[in-house]
Amino acid sequence: MTPPKSPSQISVVNRLQQLDLRQVGLPLVVILMIVFFTFKSDVFMTPGNFQNVGLQAAAIACVAFGQTFVILTAGLDLSVGATVALVSVVSAMVMNDRGPFVGIVVGLLAGVAVGLVNGLVITRLRVAPFIATLAMLSIVSGVALNLSGGTPVVGLPKSFTSLAYSRLLGIPVPLVLAIAVLILAYAVLRFTRLGRYIYSTGGNSQAARLSGINVRSTQLAAYIICAALAAIGGLILTARVASGQPTLGSDLALTSVAAVVLGGVSLFGGRGSVLGVAVGVVFVTVLANGLNLLGVSSYTQMMVIGVAMILAIAADEFISRKSRTRQNPS
Amino acid sequence: MAEALSAIHVTKSFPGVKALEDVSLELHAGEVHALIGENGAGKSTLISILAGATRPDSGEVKVAGHAVAFDSPGTARRHGISTIFQELSLQPWLDVASNIVLSNEPSLKGARQLLSRRQAEHVAQLALDRLGARDFSARTLVANLTSAQRQLVEIARALAFGAPVIIMDEPTSSLPSRDASRLLEIVRQLRDEGTAILYVSHRLDEVKTIADRVTILRDGRNVRTELIDNLTTGQMIESMTGRRVDHLFPERSSHVGEVVFRAKNLTKKGAFHDVSFEVRSGEILGFAGLIGAGRSEVMRAIFGADRFDSGHIELDGKTISVHSPREAIAAGISYLPEDRKEQGLVLDLSSRENMVMAALPRFSALGLVRGRQVRSVTAAMGRKLGVKGDLNRPSLTLSGGNQQKVVIGKGLISHARLLIFDEPTRGIDVGAKYEIYALIHELAAQGVAIILVSSDLPEIMNVPHRVIVMSDGGMHGEFVHPELSEEAILSAAFSAFTREQGAA
Repeated sequence: MTPPKSPSQISVVNRLQQLDLRQVGLPLVVILMIVFFTFKSDVFMTPGNFQNVGLQAAAIACVAFGQTFVILTAGLDLSVGATVALVSVVSAMVMNDRGPFVGIVVGLLAGVAVGLVNGLVITRLRVAPFIATLAMLSIVSGVALNLSGGTPVVGLPKSFTSLAYSRLLGIPVPLVLAIAVLILAYAVLRFTRLGRYIYSTGGNSQAARLSGINVRSTQLAAYIICAALAAIGGLILTARVASGQPTLGSDLALTSVAAVVLGGVSLFGGRGSVLGVAVGVVFVTVLANGLNLLGVSSYTQMMVIGVAMILAIAADEFISRKSRTRQNPS
Repeated sequence: MAEALSAIHVTKSFPGVKALEDVSLELHAGEVHALIGENGAGKSTLISILAGATRPDSGEVKVAGHAVAFDSPGTARRHGISTIFQELSLQPWLDVASNIVLSNEPSLKGARQLLSRRQAEHVAQLALDRLGARDFSARTLVANLTSAQRQLVEIARALAFGAPVIIMDEPTSSLPSRDASRLLEIVRQLRDEGTAILYVSHRLDEVKTIADRVTILRDGRNVRTELIDNLTTGQMIESMTGRRVDHLFPERSSHVGEVVFRAKNLTKKGAFHDVSFEVRSGEILGFAGLIGAGRSEVMRAIFGADRFDSGHIELDGKTISVHSPREAIAAGISYLPEDRKEQGLVLDLSSRENMVMAALPRFSALGLVRGRQVRSVTAAMGRKLGVKGDLNRPSLTLSGGNQQKVVIGKGLISHARLLIFDEPTRGIDVGAKYEIYALIHELAAQGVAIILVSSDLPEIMNVPHRVIVMSDGGMHGEFVHPELSEEAILSAAFSAFTREQGAA
């Protein structure tokens, strides 16, 4: 018989258990990748390339952080890419008419509206998230294409487009924005009631309901947050391409889910951290950037990202099965 | 006495079933009110209505004398009703403290949305201390707890919430006896402090010791509400079943034949060691011991669900090796797991499909299932086992006892030579228990070798021919009927621990 453990012993053991391979694995891979690309490419370790990676990461990060909220509730948002396109077109059109500030606000509101519809369709009409957001992907893309007539909206105010390349304390503004979103998302998920309810809804929704949590409004909130953060990503991308693009971000659904899952968030909901997702975003962008510098075609990159996702999930399954049998012999 | 919570003329139907018909129940402040009845009598529905998880078709719920309409469990909680559900309702990926304060989180001063972690841990630790839960802390992840520990967390949650009304649905069903008696003590304390407690249990001895009053449901109706002292256990059983129960256990059959199954020196590091035994045709071999003594682990290893490190097993005199449940079933070993909902049945499939699941190769040709053969075999099995309910509907719709019969049917249809029952009557009411014992005896009489793992002392005393007691992974005694005694079994069950303490 094992002697009863004292609470302090337990918390040490606990921390060791929580600090499992999953949390150490990906950062390690990212570091190895950076070392590899540094040796393989002369350009990789230059300030110019750093800024480039940062800019790329910023938009993906915002979308992926939003996706994290939804996936933590055991949901999924496939419409994030279409949301980005809609926000891009709407904000560009309004901006050309009413100036950057109004354009940004209306763009964000358009994003929130998509999230609201997603959330209502899922919580009120009880359509499964996968189907609901897949359908919304189609609808929202259609709206974006209709509004823009299928062509880019050009001639955006210089004051807006220059944001993409200006700096705050030496850091590109989009990256500052993404980091702010990260800090905020972390704080909400970790320190607020809403955050706790999001984890509970995904961890065991029946239990959450019986505990007195309003599961449906928690889900609704997650979809709205997701779309709002996607909208921020959309604005960053719009500024970078200096136009409203109805086809912007078409690969973001895959990329954001990849970053979230690689970052250790369970697709079944209830577990994972947005910090892990940040590492997932770094992984995805550094991988793409490094492969670009090595002259690997973007088609091949798609294959690499897909393989990386499968490997990450397989490794995750493997590790959690190992740790389960270790803790619980039955 | 002040009325704390009451259901008045409550009626509730589900498709095809009238779950409750005109049921009234008054729960007073400062009383422990037991709610008993067979499975399917309507206890769960009544609790669910009182907890706000289900809305009644008619009738009303009153809190402290005022009619309220609960539209969600959240509303009921806000009215001071805390429910410990039998289906454990914890968040596996949150730690103990977060679970205990869930939906009632202490917040930082002046910022309602921000959580106070320190306060949460404090509140949680107080509740855990009160329950005497010392082998895990407020920071332990719930996923790492055993089911008994989770049950304690669930109870701690009700304590921390400090509700004037607590509904407990089978709170001791998965607790080891030490924790169970501690819980009963706390229930008494709470009652003396004025808390109203609705206590649902199948353990009539427990009801007898803890309750002040008892309400008995049968077939969705309130049969009687009485002071507990006015009822004997026998009368309670009669009211629950609607018939006289003279014998709680069927007679043992006497025909024990050849050795069917033999285990030799089974050892798995950290789980069990040197386990050797044999079971004969027609024999019921009991496995007693404390929860966590390694009994289920041994059974799972025999069934190929887990590996063992050394030793071997024989069936009909031949050494066999099973690496998976699939191979075990093919060899003639069936295991009816303790957790029938998680491991025994696919609840969304029909009972028919569940019964033939383990024997599909026999029921199919060229990969297609022979529907007619399945229907006739399962219908016969359903009749034989006395399954009450529609075999074509999902097993989810059956009561616990009937689900257990479907699991047994699954074992029988797969032509088992050795049937292992792991806690077959946990959470099953008295009447259905008898039927299950009768089935076990009948199977034995047909020549099947049976292993019965049970933590229920009366059951282990009265059903098997022979009992092996396990303690801390090892065999610590073997008793043959009629030399079985409670004292002997209990002292053997604790022997590994007393010895260790003696040495230390």
